[in-house]
Amino acid sequence: MGLLSRIYLTIYNWTVFIGWFQVLFIAVKTLIESGHEHVYDAVEKPLLLAQSAAFLEILHGLIGLVRSPITATLPQIGSRLYVTWGILYSFPEVRTHILVSSLVISWGITEVIRYSFFGTKEAFGSAPSFLLWLRYSAFLLLYPTGISSEVGLIYVAMPYMKVSEKYCIRMPNKWNSSFDYFSAAIATLGLYIPGSPFLYSYMLSQRKKALSKTKRE
Amino acid sequence: MKVTVTTRSGRELIKGQLELNDSATVTDLQEAIHKRTKKYYPSRQRLTLPIKPGSKEKPTVLQSKKSLKEYTDGNIDQLTIVFKDLGPQVSYPILFFWEYLGPLLIYPIFYFFPVYQYLGFKGERVIHPVQTYALYYWCFHYFKRIMETFFVHRFSHATSPLSNVFRNCAYYWSFGAYIAYYVNHPLYTPVTDLQMKIGFGFGILCQVSNLYCHIILRNLRGDGSGGYQIPSGFLFNIVTCANYTTEIYQWLGFNIATQTVAGYVFLFVAAFIMTNWALAKHRRLKRLFDGKEGRPKYPRRWVILPPFL
Repeated sequence: MGLLSRIYLTIYNWTVFIGWFQVLFIAVKTLIESGHEHVYDAVEKPLLLAQSAAFLEILHGLIGLVRSPITATLPQIGSRLYVTWGILYSFPEVRTHILVSSLVISWGITEVIRYSFFGTKEAFGSAPSFLLWLRYSAFLLLYPTGISSEVGLIYVAMPYMKVSEKYCIRMPNKWNSSFDYFSAAIATLGLYIPGSPFLYSYMLSQRKKALSKTKRE
Repeated sequence: MKVTVTTRSGRELIKGQLELNDSATVTDLQEAIHKRTKKYYPSRQRLTLPIKPGSKEKPTVLQSKKSLKEYTDGNIDQLTIVFKDLGPQVSYPILFFWEYLGPLLIYPIFYFFPVYQYLGFKGERVIHPVQTYALYYWCFHYFKRIMETFFVHRFSHATSPLSNVFRNCAYYWSFGAYIAYYVNHPLYTPVTDLQMKIGFGFGILCQVSNLYCHIILRNLRGDGSGGYQIPSGFLFNIVTCANYTTEIYQWLGFNIATQTVAGYVFLFVAAFIMTNWALAKHRRLKRLFDGKEGRPKYPRRWVILPPFL
C-alpha cells in the first residue's frame, strides 16, 4: 500500500507539473510575443486541465493519502476552481484583462515549484534543499500577487454577471428557491477577507516548521 | 482547612489562603472565592486539582456537591486548587428564550409587512392559504419551544457561556429569515392541497409527540437529582433520542407542506447537528449501562432516525 500510493502520487505530481509548466511557458511566451490580451486563449486547455486536477488533492486529503488538513486545502483549491471555471471560463469578457497574465503567472510559478517539490519527494524520499526553500518562500510574494489578481478578476466580472444573469435561478419555481450569482460573488469576495490572512499565516507556520527542520539536520 | 487558589499559570488568585470549615463543600469554596474576587460568581469558576507539570493527564474537575475533604490526599489541612475563569455565563432558559424569540418575531414580519415592496417587487401580493397556515404552524412551534423552556425542561447544566448566545442566535435568526423570505414570497408556488394537508397533519402529530417526549424526559430527571437514566415510555422504547426524532420529522412535515429549498437546507443542518448529539448520548448510555456488576443493560434501540440510524 505504501509503495503503491507513492507510485501513484509520483505520477500524479509529475503529470500535473507538466500541465502547469505548459501553462507558465505558454503564458510568458504569449505575453512577450503577442500581448496580455491573448494569454487566456493560449493557455486555456492546459490551465483548465491542470487546475481541475487539483480537485483530486481534496480527495487525497480526505482518504488520508496525504497529510495536509482539509481546512487548508479546501479554501485554497475551492477559490482557484471558482476563479478558473466560475469567472474566466464563464465570462469571456474578462479574459483579455491584464490581471489574467499576473494571475496565470503567479499560479504557474507556485505550482511548478510545488509539484516538482512533491514529485521529487515522493519519488526519492526527499527533495533538494533549494527546492524546499523555494517551496516555502515563493508564496511570500506569489500569494499576494495571485490573490489580488483573483479578487481583481472577480470584481471585473461582476458587471457581466449582473447583465447576463448567468447561473441565476429566479422565482417563481416549483421548489421555491432563487439564486443570484452576482450576490454569491459579493459573498465570495467577503470570504477572502478572513480567508487570505488565514492561509498566509498557515503557510508562514509551515515555512517555519519546514525550514527549521532542515537546519537541525 | 486552608485552601490556596492559583490560576493556571501558577499565580495566586487570592492573596494568602482561604480559611474554610473542615466540613466545607466545593460550593462553599466557590462562594468564598466569589466573596473575595467579587467578579467570579460560582458558575463562572472551573476548579480543578493541580496536575504535575508536563503531565498530559486531564485534571480532576471539582464537583460542586462534594465535600472538599474528598479531594485531599491525607493532608486535611492543606489544599491547592487551580482556578479557571469560564467567562461570563447565562442561564439556559435565557439562552433558549433569545434563540427562539428571533424566529417567532422575524417570520411574521415577512407575512404581515410589505417587506417585498422594499426589496423592489411591484404589484399586488396574493396570499395563498398555505402561507397563512405556515405562519400559524411556525409561530406555534417557537411559542411551544419557549413555553417548554420555562415550564417543562430541566437543565443538567446550569449555565452556558455568553458567546453561545450570539452564535446560536445568529443560527436561528438567520435561518428563520431565510425560510420566511421564501415561504411568504409574492412569487411563491404552492403545492397541491392534498400534499399540504399531509405535511401539516404529519407535522402537528410530530409536534404533539415532541411535547410528550419532553414531558417524559422531565419526569426522568425527577426531583432534579441529576444523573443518567435509561429513557423509556412512548417512542423512547424504540429510539434513544425520540425528542430529536419528532423534532426532525415535524420540520419534514412543514417542508412537505411549504416546499422551499431554504426549509430543506435548515432540515438537513438541524438533523446533522442533532444526530451528532444523539450519537454522543447513545454512546454514553451504552457505556453507562453495560449490564456488568449489577448495572442494567441498555436495550437495543434506534439512535435518532428510524429506520435509518
